[in-house]
Amino acid sequence: MSEASTLAWRPAHQRPPLLVRARERVGRSRTAIAVSLVVLAVLLPAAVLVPWLDPTAATHADITAVYSPPSAEHVLGTDGAGRDLLVRTLAALRTSFLVGLVAAAVATLIGVTVGALAAATVSWGRGAVDQLLMRLVDAVNAVPHLVLGVVIVAMLGPSVSSVITSIALTHWTTPARLVRAEMLSVQGRDFVDVAIVGGASRWRVTMRHVLPQVASRALLAAVLMVPHAIWHESALSFLGLGMPPHLPSLGAMIQDAQVAVFAGHWWPAFWPGLALVVVTLAVSGAAALLRPRERAL
Amino acid sequence: MTRRPVLEVRDLGARLPRRDGGHHLVLHGVSFSVAPGEVLAVVGESGAGKTMTLTALLGLLPARAEVRGEAVLHPPGSGSEPVSLLGLSERDRRRLRGRGIAHLPQGAATALTPVRTVGSQLRETARALGHGRASAERVVRAALARFGAEEELLGRYPHQLSGGQLQRFANAAALMGDPCLVLADEPTAGLDEDRAATTAAELRRQADEGRAVLVVTHDLRLAEDLADRVAVLYAGHTVETGPSARVLGHPRHPYTAALLAALPRHGLRPLAGEPPQAVGHVHGGCPFADRCPLVVDRCRAELPALRPAPGSDGDHRTACHRAEDLAAGPATSRPTGIPATVVAPPAGGGTC
Repeated sequence: MSEASTLAWRPAHQRPPLLVRARERVGRSRTAIAVSLVVLAVLLPAAVLVPWLDPTAATHADITAVYSPPSAEHVLGTDGAGRDLLVRTLAALRTSFLVGLVAAAVATLIGVTVGALAAATVSWGRGAVDQLLMRLVDAVNAVPHLVLGVVIVAMLGPSVSSVITSIALTHWTTPARLVRAEMLSVQGRDFVDVAIVGGASRWRVTMRHVLPQVASRALLAAVLMVPHAIWHESALSFLGLGMPPHLPSLGAMIQDAQVAVFAGHWWPAFWPGLALVVVTLAVSGAAALLRPRERAL
Repeated sequence: MTRRPVLEVRDLGARLPRRDGGHHLVLHGVSFSVAPGEVLAVVGESGAGKTMTLTALLGLLPARAEVRGEAVLHPPGSGSEPVSLLGLSERDRRRLRGRGIAHLPQGAATALTPVRTVGSQLRETARALGHGRASAERVVRAALARFGAEEELLGRYPHQLSGGQLQRFANAAALMGDPCLVLADEPTAGLDEDRAATTAAELRRQADEGRAVLVVTHDLRLAEDLADRVAVLYAGHTVETGPSARVLGHPRHPYTAALLAALPRHGLRPLAGEPPQAVGHVHGGCPFADRCPLVVDRCRAELPALRPAPGSDGDHRTACHRAEDLAAGPATSRPTGIPATVVAPPAGGGTC
């Protein structure tokens, strides 16, 4: 090598294979995050505002325009009752966002509380409480959560709140385990010993030194649970158990459109399905903002 | 020492990308070489770039780091091609790891997985080196015998072993592949006198078996006792390098002289000031200029290159414009020109 070339800066590592690079690019690409945020910034206000500005549009049936394909008048077409699919999909999305956000928040709150309590009791010398709580987690996990969710909705009757309850009560176990495991590991670190030796109370150690360390993980888990909860709501509605029939729901719309698909009317099933996929990708894309940064060394 | 070096590092630089698109310079110009049978000690303050140098040699820099300069491994024995360690493909590097280059990490306890027995980890190492099931078993036993690690402890988990036992198992794992170059990161940090001596003896034995050993340390005494050669790093530059008796006995760089003056037996006179926070110091001159007692205008204007130290053969090299003036002083390890910094007793306070 000539003197000039060895003194020039060059990459320390050879470029990884194309597939690895592509995956990394999408994973931490700013474009992907920006697109996700833009999609959410359009869909979220639209889903909230459109049904609010015209409350009857989503349920307004027009027998003369049944299954009309996408056109200037009905941009996404109409369904079997002649209802406009754009307005109806947005109204259904509003329900989805509501259920997704509230259910994820409630599930994470329950999970963090149970997980933190379990981990804290271990360090307080009350391991029996931890054992009890974790066996409860095992018990909930032992039942397939869609089945448990169906049972809860069936007991409470179809409504927004019963769907939220059903999802929250079946999904708090994941954040509970996550928080407990993280906290147990943090509790073993030196700075916790230092805090105890420095005279901090158990409560203070847990609340000020340990819990904040797991907050970012819990937040990420909560955000990633939003699309999960949205799918659950759709699944329950698809089964005819979730929302009351008059409330638009993506799952119920797809269920209704099943027959139409076989008749060649693809649009009543396509748009709610697309909305479901787009929202899921956008939320998890935006969640990349919360991911831990690339490790320096 | 006229044998061909196993590792030759010339003008090694490294920089890491910053979020704002700029770069963070961590190594500016590091140069040294190690021959078979030699121990080289790389010494310097925390932040001088000692560990970064190892990281660069091992190919473990962060993903988008950049390097410059040269680091060439010449495997001893005829017929083996020299290998440039910078910019190797992952595949070639893997072929080299464990076989060509071994790394003794800082602290043996953290280098072993806590969830598996030491035996299974040693066997895994042997398998990774390409041994079959049966020969892996043989290689593991041979390595245990060489490093005095107890065979009956193979079924234990790391937390069930003492620090000394762990060290022996970690050594056995690292050196199983019979590498020609051993890199040790702070091998004696945090060890008691006894264990430090054992570790030093082990490294010496590695060199005596014909390997080239590179020890990164801030323990000058270890460098004096163990090393054949020394490279002194300051702010990402090699400022002085050569046979350890020469460099540590007749320092020709004021920084080396200051490090020696800070040793307890030389009066415990720590150098005033702080090392530069960023290696990319502002004025293109000598990185040590701001703390140097011998500084002149030229030092701030012109970066001194490594050159043969005055009054030595070419093997002892220094990067100081004023090496001649240092040499003119009495040839002792207490250099002239270093002001005796007064170490103030700790101010009162505390209840004890």
